Parts: sequence; structure tokens; C-alpha cells
Amino acid sequence: MQGAIGREWIVKKVLFVLAMMTVLGIVLIIFFVAKESVPALTDVGLGNLFSSTWQPKTGQYGILVFITGTLATTAGGLILGAPLAIGSAIFLTQMAPRRARSIVTRGVELLAGVPSIVLGWLGFTVMVPWIRDLTNSPGTGVLAASILLGIMIIPTITTIAIDALEAVPKSHQEASLAMGATRWQTIRRVQVPAAKSGLLVAIILGMGRAIGETMAVALVIGPASSFPSSLTSPTHTLTTKILIEMGESTGVQRSALFVMGLVLLLIAMALIITIRLVSRERKVAAR
Amino acid sequence: MKMDLDTDMDVEVESPPLDEEEKAVGGRSDVERRMRERIERTERRAAICDRIATVVIWGLALFGLGILAFIIGTILVRGLTTALTPGFVFGKPEAIREGGGIWPMIVSSFYLALLTIAIAIPLGVGAAIYMAEFAREGWVTRVVRFGADSLSTVPSVVFGIFGMVLFVIYFGLGYSLLAGALTLALLNLPMVMRTTEEALKAVPCSYREASMGLGATRWETVKKVLLPSAMPGITTGAVLTIGRIVGESAAVIYTVGIFIRKVPTSPLSPAAPMAANIWHTYTEGALVSDWMRVANGEAAFLLLVVLVLNLLARLAANRFQKRLGAVK
Repeated sequence: MQGAIGREWIVKKVLFVLAMMTVLGIVLIIFFVAKESVPALTDVGLGNLFSSTWQPKTGQYGILVFITGTLATTAGGLILGAPLAIGSAIFLTQMAPRRARSIVTRGVELLAGVPSIVLGWLGFTVMVPWIRDLTNSPGTGVLAASILLGIMIIPTITTIAIDALEAVPKSHQEASLAMGATRWQTIRRVQVPAAKSGLLVAIILGMGRAIGETMAVALVIGPASSFPSSLTSPTHTLTTKILIEMGESTGVQRSALFVMGLVLLLIAMALIITIRLVSRERKVAAR
Repeated sequence: MKMDLDTDMDVEVESPPLDEEEKAVGGRSDVERRMRERIERTERRAAICDRIATVVIWGLALFGLGILAFIIGTILVRGLTTALTPGFVFGKPEAIREGGGIWPMIVSSFYLALLTIAIAIPLGVGAAIYMAEFAREGWVTRVVRFGADSLSTVPSVVFGIFGMVLFVIYFGLGYSLLAGALTLALLNLPMVMRTTEEALKAVPCSYREASMGLGATRWETVKKVLLPSAMPGITTGAVLTIGRIVGESAAVIYTVGIFIRKVPTSPLSPAAPMAANIWHTYTEGALVSDWMRVANGEAAFLLLVVLVLNLLARLAANRFQKRLGAVK
């Protein structure tokens, strides 16, 4: 019996260490990315880093273009993808007959599984030529990237939006319908407002997905390191710039790429904290 | 609009039905007739809105399905018709000449998935057991959850450059399967943890009570009762994770490599998983005249692998539900 209790203690400690690996992981990531960006932060300085000219040959390491690219493609992706994703979630939770529900659910799962490089390759070989012909422009750029991101964030948003909508008590819906409201009035005035914070979390997570997406965007956005003159002219985002230049850069330029990584990490952390705040509010409201 | 609806309803409830005489003169009074018309208008408008919304929402869902069908259809049809032959799948890649195959890339993806899972499963399952069965809600669980949430929001390219600095350079592993597997294990840790925790939580409490009631310790309960019952759920998660590993490229390019000629032989060999190799084919495209064919074929094969894995995960999930359903 004594042995069993001792073993129990050891097991618990071992499992505790394993659980702490997530914490160790994120700490290591922040530490190493920050460490590698120190040369750029000290030698180049924030003023240069947060300017809008990226020309490593002349010592200009401005990353504003890429921050703008990331924000623009993310906004575009959300504008195109969020209505589709939330609409699908409403469809799945409120309207779909059983058969349609299982088909669409399966579809969302499949879409989540499509590798981003495959989607990027399809965008590069099919969509970019379309845009090029339609608009008489290079074809790569914010528009193409936004369309791909809009598709890619659907599974993330839909899955979480479904949870949020399903968490609304059935009695709310029944009460509303019994009062004579139509199904759409019930959805719009009762269920969506009740699930508001959950839907917000869904959209924030979709945003995180879009900001971090690399490969799909990399194949349809470049190559240019300046502000785009239109939605269909080339530029870059933080992730794609890191991807493309990390292999062939050294010294301060490489360090500046790590600064971009650090910016991405900070954005990710800000999103996590926002989600925490939103869901805390939700718990309080439920009480 | 909402206010309108309320007052209209009140009026309707209070007024008794019209008798024959009143019907003949066309309603009790002008006021009431106007009320009635307003109610009808509002109801008609609500009904029309409802119908439009239904059509729009159905349209959105079908449009989404259409996009998915287009993506999968185009990739598969193009790959199958132009590239996917046994000679391509089992062939050697070419760096300059045309007619190259992708066998070493397929093997690379397979080894990378195997190695990553071998690292991520013990870590993730252990952590999940701790969270679901041992930990009391408190600062520890909060910190661990925050860590897992943060890890799952970090962009994969950042995992890539982190893995490059820590595993490739600092640990001196070089571009290798092992460096990539360590990076990807960390990337997928939250997913393995989450699916395992969900599988453990789905096991009915009566199992735990019965086992502990017989005098088993917590660990014995986990080992002999909970893990076996949760195994199909954990397997589902593992298969989905393999799908993500095989499809991952941004975290792989700077840790494993993007092009090889020969099949990798050890965990320390550099390799070129399919997803990363598509990137190579895209960037170095012009070197090989049939680069489009290679990338088309590789994309189709990669998608096929992911689809099959999804199917397997679904089968495992169904079995899990059936098994737990039989008990309840």
C-alpha cells in the first residue's frame, strides 16, 4: 500500500511536468524570438524599424508595409469569410434538416483539413490568373490573399460560432417562437444577441488564424516590399516576408525578420488576452 | 418596429371576433380596421423577411460547399489527369531535368508525422491526464491553459524560425527530421491535449466511481479504466494531428528542408516533406520545365492523404461514440 501511494505521488509530479511543457514552450518561443531580434532593436532602432521603407541594402528596415499588409489581408479575409462562416453556423444550428446538416458539417471539417500550401497553389494557378485577366493587373496582392484567407478562416469561425449558438438555452428560442416571432426574428433578436460574446470570440480566433497564415498568402501576394498601389498589386505581409527572406538573410536583416516575428507574437498575445476578457464578461453575464 | 409589434398584438388579443352584423358594415370602426391592416402588414413583412433570410442563409451554406467542392475537385482532377502515375509517386525527384517523382518527399512526410506523433502524444496525453484527472482548478490549471491557448495562436512561421534557432542551430541538430518533429510536437501539443481532455471527460463518472470504489488508486483508474475507454477518442485526435503535420509547411521549411534526392535514413537526416517541397517547386520553379506538373501531382497526393486521414478520424470517432453510447 505504501508503494502504491509513493507511485501515485511520482506519477502526479511527472504528469505535472508534462502539463507545464505548454508554459515552457511559449516561454522559450518568446525568449528566443526576442533574443534574436535584439541586434535589430538596438542597432537599427525603433524609428527605423517602424518606418515604411524596407531596403536592407541601404540599411532601411521599416516593417510598416508588412504590418499594413497583414492588417489589410486580415480585414479583407474577415469581411469575405466571417459572414459566410457565421451564416453557415446559423444554418447548421437553426435551419438545416438533418441530412443537410451532416453534409455541411463534414464539409467544414474537410475544409479545415485542406493544407494551406495546397490552397495557395490553387490560388496561384487558378485564381491569380483570373484576377489578372479581369483587372488587367499583376493579379497578386491583397485581394487574392483576402479571398484565400476568407476561405481558410471559415472552419475556425464556424466551429466556435456553432458552440456559442448551441449554448443559448432552448427555452429562449421556444419563448420567442411562442410569442409569435418568426424564425428569423428569433435568430436575429434573441439567439444572436444571446450568443454575442461567443460569436465575438469566434471572429477573434478567425482573425488570429488570418494574421498567422503564411503559405496560402505567400503564393498569391508578392513579390514587392512597398505599399501596394491597388488591391491587385503585389505587396507582402509579416509572415510572408519572414518566410521568403529568412533563408537568405544574415546579420541585422535576419534580426529585423525576428522583430517581425516578435510583432506577430505580441499580436497573438493581445488576441488571447482579448478573448479572455470577452469570455469572462460572458461568464459574468450568465450568472 | 419592436414596439409596434407589441401594441398590435395587444389590440388583437383584446378585441372579440366580429359578429355577422359588424362584418356586413366592414369592421367595428375605422381605428380598428387600420389596426388590423397594420398587424397584417407587419406580419406579412416579418414573413417575407423570414423567407428572404432563409434563402440567404441556405445560399451562404451552399456557396461554402460549392467553394469546397471546387477546391477539392480542381486539385484532384488536375493532379490525377496530369501527374499522378506510379512512375511519379515512386519516382526520384529531379533538380534540373524533367520527369521527376516525389517518393522521397512522401517518405519524408511519413517519417516526420511518425516522429512528431511519437513526441507529441506522450507529452499531450500526459498533460491532458493531469489537467482532467489530477489537477484541482487553481493557478496551475490556469497557467497551463494560458500556455496552451498561447501556443495555439502562435503563427506557424514563428514556430518555424523558433525551431530553426533552438533545435537546428542551438542544439546543433541541423536541418533534420528530428528538429522538425520537435518543432511540430510543440505546435500540435495544444491540439493533442484538447482532444485527449475531451475524450477523458466523455468517459462517464460512474467508471471512475466504480474503479475507485474497488480500491484502485487514481493512477490505476486512469491506466486501466479511463485510458482504454478514451482510446478511440485519443486516436481520433492523433489521426487529425497527423493530418495537420502532413499539411504543415511554414514550420517545416526552416527546420527540416525543402528538397532531397534520396529517401531520408535517420532522424538526423535532412528531408523534404511534400508540403514543404511544393513551396520549393514554386520558388525554384523555372529550374525544371515540368515544375507545374510536379506541384500539381504533389498537391493532389497531399490532399488525398489528408482526406483519407480525415475519413479514418471520422471512423474512429464513430466507434468511440458507439462504445460510450452502449454504456449509458
